[in-house]
Amino acid sequence: MSEHILRSFDEDLGQLTAEVARMGGLAEAQIADALDCVLRRDVRLAEKVKGGDRILDELDADIERKAIRVIALRQPMADDLRHAVAAMKISSNLERIGDLAKNIAKRSLVLAGSEAATPLSRSIDRLGRLVAARLKEVLDAYTGSDVDRAVAVWTRDEEIDSHYDSLFRELLTYMMGDTKMITPGAHLLFIAKNLERIGDHATNIAEIIHYELTGEPLGTDRPKVDSVTP
Amino acid sequence: MPLTTPADPAILERLPDPVMVVSAGARDRPGERRIAFANAAARDTFRLKSEGQPLVSAIRHPKVLEAVEASLFDDAEHEVAYDAVGAQDRHWLVLSRPLGDGRAVIIFRDQTDARRSERLRADFLANASHELRTPLASLTGFIETLRGHAKDDPAARDHFLSIMHVQADRMARLIDDLLSLSRIELSEHIPPAGEVELGSAAADVISALAPQIEERQVTIDFTPPSAGVTVEGDRDQIVQVIQNLVDNAVKYTPPGGTVRVELADGQTPEAVTAPRVDGAARQSLLTPDHGADRYVAIRVTDEGPGVARQHLPRLSERFYRAPGQKSGERSGTGLGLAIVKHIMNRHRGGLAVESAEGEGAAFTAYFPAPS
Repeated sequence: MSEHILRSFDEDLGQLTAEVARMGGLAEAQIADALDCVLRRDVRLAEKVKGGDRILDELDADIERKAIRVIALRQPMADDLRHAVAAMKISSNLERIGDLAKNIAKRSLVLAGSEAATPLSRSIDRLGRLVAARLKEVLDAYTGSDVDRAVAVWTRDEEIDSHYDSLFRELLTYMMGDTKMITPGAHLLFIAKNLERIGDHATNIAEIIHYELTGEPLGTDRPKVDSVTP
Repeated sequence: MPLTTPADPAILERLPDPVMVVSAGARDRPGERRIAFANAAARDTFRLKSEGQPLVSAIRHPKVLEAVEASLFDDAEHEVAYDAVGAQDRHWLVLSRPLGDGRAVIIFRDQTDARRSERLRADFLANASHELRTPLASLTGFIETLRGHAKDDPAARDHFLSIMHVQADRMARLIDDLLSLSRIELSEHIPPAGEVELGSAAADVISALAPQIEERQVTIDFTPPSAGVTVEGDRDQIVQVIQNLVDNAVKYTPPGGTVRVELADGQTPEAVTAPRVDGAARQSLLTPDHGADRYVAIRVTDEGPGVARQHLPRLSERFYRAPGQKSGERSGTGLGLAIVKHIMNRHRGGLAVESAEGEGAAFTAYFPAPS
């Protein structure tokens, strides 16, 4: 009898993991689409991203409900409790990532009116791909319960910050050199900042995974190299 | 034997395309989709660890998951194209087909080659035409001058002709490097075969560069390790990596200075990328996707002007020149580090730079140690 209950419990937890993974996949697809929007200024794609964001919001609410249900009904301890809590926290980060991707897509439409320089779009794309790879890595760490991989993501946080810094300067240079570039440049700055924040959320997820699997928090000093903001 | 006999599982196992069989579970519980079977290619590509692991732990892409749902519950066949990001980008075409018994089969076809060739050709043409435009305009200008007011001025003629020669050389080297880069990118997703002993490769590069080294009055400090340091790789490409790094170092080191070349074996991932110089900024230009336990590193240090922190992330970007960098008459094509990065990526290794303004720069290229 108790074995049957235990199996059910595992399935519930496994269900949570699967839902977080699915949500992660959707967030990854949103980022890819948003970056495509920046390169191609595709109105229909931007609408698709907005639609996808609503689904992400629903999934977040759903995961929160399911996790609370598991905690309330099963009263799990230790690992299992951390697993349920982690699922909620990760889903919350993924929902924020979705919002940021949606904002990127929306801004790219504003850009559609002006001609942004191609090298700038390429730099944004490069930062975007770094961030996307980071998120993929951390989600793989989650589904594989791989602490080392999560820690590796956390340690390399500064890589994205350096690229963001560099992109920031590049944008400033362009804007200072040509007043026509100021408006599109400002939008690209926001897009770059959104990407950098997606990277931060990926690092948050890495910290959550580490805590879930080891019960210990990762160090308080996250490696941070951002000479642009104080 | 009739042609429609059910296939021997060994055949599926050996197919080059990743193939998975997915079992359904309850319709409203997506967490119950499990991988009932995965052939060797699938286990390898998706790093599958255990039998019956949830589908979503291997594949998260929403379109693919939707296609599988449709095959499992609506008896529908679907085809989805998606891109996998990472240090190596891969483009997949996924075919999802119902098996009719609460299971579906998913076949992955690697489209990376086709897509990549297309994209590289477009990139090459764009880069080439863009970068060649300036030296070509320069040449045209000089030709006009030589036909115009420098026509009867032998001193001016000689002067302009030698500049034109430099420009033409530069264009040739540019085309070579662009072609080189294209070729490398084409096979970047295919792991190299072969073994290379780094000590002898480095020694070869240093002797081939002897004329430049002597001309710049620079000393190379390199002690080949007593035991051979071997990695898996393509010798020509590895030689190119070492050559580009050493050549750069020699170019930027002032006369009388020293370029240091070091080889280190058995480094942990932390050690190989650890900063070594106080006050210098460290930047990873390429981080390998799948970590190896141990790495073999080659580190080339110059005594040049160094690179400011804010310019570090873009060093391996093609045609990027950090402002203020003068590399003399024999200026490079701007592709050297991009070539190094792509070769290191093919070899599943990494590339990092450490530098402080006024204090030179150190580039570390590291390879996974052979298991």
